[in-house]
Amino acid sequence: MNFGFSEDQLALAATVRDVLRTHCPPGSLRTERRPAWEQLAALGFFGLLLPEETDGLGLGLVDVLPALEETGRACLPGPVVETAVVAPGLLAEVPKLAAGAVCVGVLPPGQAYAADADLADLLVVVRDGRARVVPRQDVRLAPRRGVDPCRPLFEVAFSRSEPLAGPVAPVLARATVATAAQLVGVARELLAVTVGYARVRTQFGAPIGSFQAVKHQLADVAVAVEFAAPLVYRAALTVDAGSAERDASAAKAAAGEAATLAARVALQVHGAIGYTEELDLRFWLARAWSLSAAYGTTAAHRERLRTAITGRRP
Amino acid sequence: MDLDYSTAELAFRAEVRDWLGGHAPPPLPPMDTADGFAAHRAWEAELAGARLSVVSWPEEYGGRGASLIDWLIFEEEYWAAGCPARVTQNGIFLLGPSLLRHGTPEQREHWLPRMARGDDVWAQAWSEPEAGSDLAALTSRAEPCEGGWRLYGHKTWSSRAAFATHGFGLFRTSGARHRGLTYFMFPMTDVAVRPIAQLDGLPGFAELRFDGVFTPESMVLGEVGQGWRIAMATTSSERGLTLRSPGRFLATADRLVELAGDADPVLADRAARCRVEAEAYQLHTFGTARRIMAGEEIGSAASLGKIFWSELDLRMHALALELLGDRAEDWLDGFLFSLAGPIYAGTNEIQRSIVAERVLGLPR
Ligand SMILES: Cc1cc2nc3c(=O)[nH]c(=O)nc-3n(C[C@H](O)[C@H](O)[C@H](O)COP(=O)(O)OP(=O)(O)OC[C@H]3O[C@@H](n4cnc5c(N)ncnc54)[C@H](O)[C@@H]3O)c2cc1C
Repeated sequence: MNFGFSEDQLALAATVRDVLRTHCPPGSLRTERRPAWEQLAALGFFGLLLPEETDGLGLGLVDVLPALEETGRACLPGPVVETAVVAPGLLAEVPKLAAGAVCVGVLPPGQAYAADADLADLLVVVRDGRARVVPRQDVRLAPRRGVDPCRPLFEVAFSRSEPLAGPVAPVLARATVATAAQLVGVARELLAVTVGYARVRTQFGAPIGSFQAVKHQLADVAVAVEFAAPLVYRAALTVDAGSAERDASAAKAAAGEAATLAARVALQVHGAIGYTEELDLRFWLARAWSLSAAYGTTAAHRERLRTAITGRRP
Repeated sequence: MDLDYSTAELAFRAEVRDWLGGHAPPPLPPMDTADGFAAHRAWEAELAGARLSVVSWPEEYGGRGASLIDWLIFEEEYWAAGCPARVTQNGIFLLGPSLLRHGTPEQREHWLPRMARGDDVWAQAWSEPEAGSDLAALTSRAEPCEGGWRLYGHKTWSSRAAFATHGFGLFRTSGARHRGLTYFMFPMTDVAVRPIAQLDGLPGFAELRFDGVFTPESMVLGEVGQGWRIAMATTSSERGLTLRSPGRFLATADRLVELAGDADPVLADRAARCRVEAEAYQLHTFGTARRIMAGEEIGSAASLGKIFWSELDLRMHALALELLGDRAEDWLDGFLFSLAGPIYAGTNEIQRSIVAERVLGLPR
């Protein structure tokens, strides 16, 4: 029993973090559609989960989990989970995937719109438990209003598509866990930024972070993040063992709730400046909301958990 | 990262489960009655006979030198088997670890095996009428005398002190707020004890009056003036995993899920959520255990866990009462006790401030 990340796993995350610091600074979220992707590709990021036969590193989800958390922490735009986690599970044969030359979008079951579909060279559509893949030229996209400016949504229509072999549920469970890891990263960043602000913003002659009403809200966020993260780690372990739908739901629901609480408190503690488009905070707020709804809403995952744990169906 | 138990860990789990299967007592009378206290002590002696009362202690003191992971396994099995709360908990979980760390060899050799067998049952005497959350404001004092010390003052809210044989607590030995405190152990013989009934009507608390109670030199734990430092190490374990292992909450959550089986979806949802939160606490604790086993100090981060487990426990019991309506009896004692979780071991308001200031770094 050894429930902690290895040095290799943490080192990978540190590398990704450094790359994102340099190539995906907050300012780039306003000017670039896909900052840091080239640099991540050069690092081999998109081949981490691909088998060695297709030029990948053959790692497990748990190995890349801290790195995925970093992509959330940096609010990295683009279909990261789709390209780095879903594609290796469904499209491993596609050439140049490991090199990061192919960008993949996904329309998951139960979802109306596909996020980041404008960037996708290949779009995976999952309906009735079956996955199909559609090349870019056969897709028609209609933009739809979503909450996250860096994660635009599209209604999808397509003429031709190819069915994909293999079960899709395990791949979706992985994507769910990977998204939960990103949510943990988003929540950690929201907490850190808000703590930083509470230390420097003064009112009534004192830093607002010295007021107990502010402190206790931030402590509650710290508790929520602290106890969501281990559920995500467990799900990453069990998803590779193939028994994880319940654990993936537990991870996604807890991480989504931690991130939305972090967003709520971040906004409140920042006051009116937090309610502006001008402050970079808005990107992280939006990411907390948009990822909470991705790969199953919190409510949907809670319902699955209820069924799995109490045997009660609606 | 893994969640795989070693062969030795699995064998230990099997041994514990086996033994408890044959020995777990029927529900004992409440430990806050004379009969119940005696019955709980007898159970402690039986556990000790199987060397299961303090598995993580060194063998020479009655333990097995087991790892923290083994201890967590023991706790899961203990609570799953429906075994009673530990009447010796203040001794084995709070004083014991402090003795192991700061005690002299003589103190350890004398007190630890007795504690492990339930020969002595220890009460914690920290709080005072005017010093609860602000513990460093305490005024009870100790004065040196021939062969030892004389204790004066007034302590209160001391759990199980109505029947305990010994106590431990902080007493002022000089004026300095924190560095004027010394950690004393004392026999209850000459302490004036007034039992105080808790919400359930039983004398779960006691008030202690010291009017020159003698305690020998050998009952000072650590150095004079070092009491605060030693006590704070204890509170960190009290808030963290030693006092409230996940096994307890997992067992409660399982009972709750069973209770919620036919409930409406809203209540069933809340039960499922509690089960997942108990798992989150379990997993988090595995992570903490790993860090402690690697030599890390947990320190103030233990406050995160204190807030989480106490509020989870309260939520679980409140939901059980909601599910049971007027047939609450099985869960009532647990509910009343869960209400105390956010108060003892440092109130949750204090814990939130500790998290904000010492974990997050917000200004005081
Ligand atoms: C079941 C139970 C068992 C106990 N067992 C023991 C025992 O064995 N030995 C022992 O010594 N003590 C024991 N205690 C006492 C316990 O440690 C104290 O109750 C606790 O430290 C709080 O002190 P207090 O009760 O004096 O409350 P107070 O300190 O008076 O606090 C009252 C309220 O004010 C709030 N408050 C106080 N200061 C602040 C602040 N700075 N910021 C925000 N809010 C604040 C508190 O959070 C609380 O809500 C036990 C208590 C209970 C309920």
